Amino acid sequence: MSKGKMREEEIRRIIRADDEWEPVGPTPMPNLTDLRNWDFRLLDTYEPFYAPFCDLCCLCTYGKCDLTGDKKGACGIDIAAQQARWILICSLMGTAAHGAHGRHMIEHLIEKFGEDFKIDLGSQVNVEAPIIRTVMGLKPENLGDLRKAIEYVEREMIHLVSATHMGQEGSYRDFESKAFHAGMLDHVALEAADIAQIVGYGLPTSIADTALVDLGWGAIDVKKPTIVVVGHNAVTANAIVDYLRQHDLYDKVEVAGLCCTALDMTRYDSGAKVIGPLSRQRFFLKAGLADVVVTDEQCVVTDIPQMASEAGAAMIACSDKICYGLQEASAMAADDILKAVLEEQKQFLILDSEKAAEVIVRAALALAPTRQERKKIMTQEEAALVSAKCRGTCEACNRACPNLLPVNVAINQARQGDFAKLGSVFLRCIGCAKCEEACVNDIPIQKVMQAAAASDTYKIRAGRGPIHDVEIRKVGSPIVLGTIPGVVLFAGCSNFPGDIDDVAWLAEELARRKYIVTLSGCAAMAASMRKDEDGKTIYEKYIPEFDAGCIVNVGSCVSNAHVVGAAIKIANIFATLPNRANFELMADYILNRVGACGVVWGPYSQKALSIGTGAVRWGIPVVLGPHGSKYRRLFMSKKEASDWNVIDGRTKQVVNTEEPTPEHMMLVTETKERALVTIIKQCFRRNDTPPGRAIKLNSYISAYKQVIGGLPDDLQNFVRTEKEIPIVYKREVIAYLKEVGWKPKTVLSLPTLIGTYETKVPIEATIK
Amino acid sequence: MYAADVGPQYEGERIRKSDFHVEFGGPDVSHKGELVTVKGLDEVEHDKIIVTGPDIKDLPEGSSNRIFIKVDVAGEVLEKDLEAVLERRVHQYINYIEGVFHMAQRYDIWIRIHKNAFKKGLNSLEEIGRILIDLFTAELPVIEKMSIEFVTDPAKVEELLAEAIKVYKERDAKVKGLREEDVEEFYGCVLCQSFAPTHVCVITPERISLCGAINWFDGRAATKVDPEGAQFAIPKGNLVDEEGIGYDTVNQVVTERSMGETTQFSLHSALSFPHTSCGCFEAIVFYIPEVDGFGIVSRDFVGSTVIGDPFSTLAGMASGGKQNEGYLGIGVQYLLSPKFLIADGGYSRVAWMTSTLKELASEEVPEDLLAKIATEKDVQNVDELTEFMQNAGRL
Amino acid sequence: MASEFMTTPYYKVNILTGTKAAKVVSEPTEAASIIDKATNPLYVFGAEVIDSPVGDRLLIDYALEIAKSRDIPICATAHVKKKMMELGVRPDSTYDIIEIVHFLKDKSWAGVRGKGFHDLVLFTGVRCDLAERGLSTLKHFAPHLKTFAICRRSHPNADFALPVIPKTEKWRVYLEGVISELGAV
Repeated sequence: MSKGKMREEEIRRIIRADDEWEPVGPTPMPNLTDLRNWDFRLLDTYEPFYAPFCDLCCLCTYGKCDLTGDKKGACGIDIAAQQARWILICSLMGTAAHGAHGRHMIEHLIEKFGEDFKIDLGSQVNVEAPIIRTVMGLKPENLGDLRKAIEYVEREMIHLVSATHMGQEGSYRDFESKAFHAGMLDHVALEAADIAQIVGYGLPTSIADTALVDLGWGAIDVKKPTIVVVGHNAVTANAIVDYLRQHDLYDKVEVAGLCCTALDMTRYDSGAKVIGPLSRQRFFLKAGLADVVVTDEQCVVTDIPQMASEAGAAMIACSDKICYGLQEASAMAADDILKAVLEEQKQFLILDSEKAAEVIVRAALALAPTRQERKKIMTQEEAALVSAKCRGTCEACNRACPNLLPVNVAINQARQGDFAKLGSVFLRCIGCAKCEEACVNDIPIQKVMQAAAASDTYKIRAGRGPIHDVEIRKVGSPIVLGTIPGVVLFAGCSNFPGDIDDVAWLAEELARRKYIVTLSGCAAMAASMRKDEDGKTIYEKYIPEFDAGCIVNVGSCVSNAHVVGAAIKIANIFATLPNRANFELMADYILNRVGACGVVWGPYSQKALSIGTGAVRWGIPVVLGPHGSKYRRLFMSKKEASDWNVIDGRTKQVVNTEEPTPEHMMLVTETKERALVTIIKQCFRRNDTPPGRAIKLNSYISAYKQVIGGLPDDLQNFVRTEKEIPIVYKREVIAYLKEVGWKPKTVLSLPTLIGTYETKVPIEATIK
Repeated sequence: MYAADVGPQYEGERIRKSDFHVEFGGPDVSHKGELVTVKGLDEVEHDKIIVTGPDIKDLPEGSSNRIFIKVDVAGEVLEKDLEAVLERRVHQYINYIEGVFHMAQRYDIWIRIHKNAFKKGLNSLEEIGRILIDLFTAELPVIEKMSIEFVTDPAKVEELLAEAIKVYKERDAKVKGLREEDVEEFYGCVLCQSFAPTHVCVITPERISLCGAINWFDGRAATKVDPEGAQFAIPKGNLVDEEGIGYDTVNQVVTERSMGETTQFSLHSALSFPHTSCGCFEAIVFYIPEVDGFGIVSRDFVGSTVIGDPFSTLAGMASGGKQNEGYLGIGVQYLLSPKFLIADGGYSRVAWMTSTLKELASEEVPEDLLAKIATEKDVQNVDELTEFMQNAGRL
Repeated sequence: MASEFMTTPYYKVNILTGTKAAKVVSEPTEAASIIDKATNPLYVFGAEVIDSPVGDRLLIDYALEIAKSRDIPICATAHVKKKMMELGVRPDSTYDIIEIVHFLKDKSWAGVRGKGFHDLVLFTGVRCDLAERGLSTLKHFAPHLKTFAICRRSHPNADFALPVIPKTEKWRVYLEGVISELGAV
């Protein structure tokens, strides 16, 4: 359905089209099909790769339908479209989670401050919302404008959800285009949510050097009343901090968090503590160290009420997304709720965040003195005792482990008093407790791990929010020229294939090669969980600026928006291309010229999927850890055999660049070693100047030699001229290129996909 | 391949006092230095590496030692003028070596060898010489012959240093004295056309590139070393605009390289036919009509300028490779140029600059004039600036 | 394919939700004959071949012997190449696991030695959950080839899979059996 005149008028009104900060580009508030041609252009080169989870479709009562071989569903769907349909459904879950989070946050703040409350991100950030500006064409000025962004996301989502119904979309390519749309909307929601909380709660912005805060379960002083918040929406967590401050209790109570609420809370108050990522939820809650457990929303393990109850802790749910069947108590008097909590161990849902905060703090103060015994960590003697029945032979635990860990060996050794193996299993544990469930001897494995887990405290830098406009100006040129070899974002969850500190290893390998390294969410937490010989984490060791060889924690999941935003700002602020309602122009710029790469080493949630899918539409390739294969879909080229044609902006002629850069848009790597060289390669761009490409190739070759061995056997694809051969390896590389019959390729300074497909964007727009 | 791994990824490594096996130069050592000399092809014995005096393995652990690195190069197109440019590469390439750091230049150098590098077998300066010759000749094929002598013998270091200091002085005098009038060629750079497709940078002895990275000598070296690169020679041609300082060949090249966007450059004016700006300038000159003068702000200045806009807003006005009268991106070293905005009246036209830039300018600008230029410490807005100017007798 | 071949893999995360399951190859002789029938096979080595001991040798030693017996080209995924080079063997391809699966889907792809599509692909040492996903891809999108997971954890999405072999000693015996069968053919 094309847009009608009335809808066009409505859009113009919503985005205040007459405001003249920039002319309105071709796609203000794009609908399901407005960016379809761009999507198809990407899909032409980067074909979807499907790994079906299931041979069947079980979504409607026509079925079950077997989709193996040439078989189709009763509705006519084939296996590829069915996978793409799942991808769309899962992406929508992620987008909905961020969108609803944004909606809740923004409405809460509008209640508090009014919709005219101004957006001011400080002196260093003028382009406040690059994603919303680019996608919608709106320059948001106040909280009311951010609500418009969420309303736009909601409006599009209803159509997208509709397309997943039986007998709707039938082509995998169109499902993918719709998934891209969901991913892009996800980014709009992320940006709106994070800007809202930055301005509403006064979170850091326009500074780089944010506080170093404590992370780790050992950082919690459990002698104090201990409140643990779990989830991703800090509204209640911040209310708890406010209540403690108002009642002069802040130094008497420990407030700590799991997952992104923890990160956002430390942005609000650097005295709060981060326990760890998602993978630590069960471990920590089963340890019983929390006097009160508070849940908000997203990635909260769903058996928390049971765990809290077993640990004798109070439990309060605070989000309408997670009610657990509990009584909603906002209308009750705080004293009455408290009484039921303390005397009857009753759990409540309290949607009024201020009331919740009061109950939570008072409950913690009352419970803590009575719970000191329950906070004792299992000793090694006790652990050995409860493991006594294990013989290490049935392997039921191993078979249940989705991270394929040798739990049986670890528990069997623990039984005999050796906890080394269990300690290393703990570092790889993703915290699902499936081993415990499977154990025929009912050994409480998560608890036994307490005796093996190191209780170090680590330092993580509080999330800093947006990248500064001046930082962009400083790095814009070296990034586009290629002399800063890339910008890498580590996002996502914590189901890592290997040790929890793999992200720290990758981040450091890249930072020392002068990449700009940014992190968010659970990945940012995990990256702090490694110390060097001086006991320093990467956050203490590296400068927190958006610059070569620096390491930046942007914040929680919703802060991912700022890294995509930085890529847009490079095109907009630095290269002065107009971004207003100009999605294709920005995405084309990023794809061809901004060497950015997203890494989701722990690809657990649907939110991570929608963030990653959105990134691809922006032209940012994504590298996933092995669990990412369970997303079911990747985007890969056929290397040198794919379509690498672009238009040369100078001559307006089609040129075959013959170089597969970026090589893939979403792929899985099995080991951290392979991930390192893949990330480096995904930062290559067609626009790299010869000196820039030489630097990128140097990183590629040096890393490849370090972790895989020898010269990479695809160098001929990426060396365009002899000048690009890194001097350190010159002789060796020249000999190799000669052996494989390498020929020089064209180097373009203005490569663009605009003009290679049907679009409203004129080629001239890419040159201004 | 070598006793230590080599590559740009090791640049920026720091080696602490407790971690070095030996160090050369540095604050505790009175005599140290390095010098690259361009010689005739028959005067250099290629690949010759000598260590005169004790080598790394002969020196006590934890010791600080004198050193002089004497590099001789020869090649058909090499010129004396390139010596300083080549010398900087000694710094860069030594830092490529894992477990070795090199700081500063000339008579001020400081080199440390990490204990681990020593353990791995980096126990001779000869190895460093080998790496240097390999990197120099791989990167710069114009170097046909190269020899290195590492001198650690204290008396000989002293002797060589005394000679070298004379050379540094001569070089400085030559660079400082060099005028546009003295040369036949300027250099152009179009590296930034990747993001500012119509921008061309013109580099003269009195006008450094606006990113601050390429001076006239660098431009000259670059065109010699890599004739096909992003830098190219521009024959100076004739001075066709004496007032604005414009040359016919410059205009011709700019027209061509900007795809016709710009046809005329005044090399030293911010007001008429100003030089275009890409996006990587270190500072911006902006016109303030109320006082008929200029403000100058650098990239690292936090906060608003005297006209209320921060650097980022002004940068948006100046950048993009289009001529914008009243906005000019510059490299900060241009503040010390004898031709600094000479077409517009030079410093007599500067009303406001950030205090750090003013401090830098004090090397060149007479004190009494400088005192009449306001900074962010003196005035906060244009009204206050006007008053300041009036009090200074400039309005 | 009939469900009588259905096997429960070692890892619960790899349990088949579907209709088309692997044929379980319980005997080394059978395994050898499957390999022997192939006209253009490929052997994909995953990261675990370099750090999984089987008796006093590494898994890679056995996998290399199988490859050598029929001159089967090897794709060294992840960082396997480094170990192979130490052992003096140059892999024919170093595509990562997902890349090689992506190419294998394409019947018109020339294969790692340029001889056209591979009709049989052997997998050993790929991380089990990832291998299962890749095998699912090939099951659905590469009808022109057969997959054989030579893995003691068993893979229902392969065309041919081993039974679960919990004991390392039996695993060694199986591998040696395949090698000696191949040698005897």
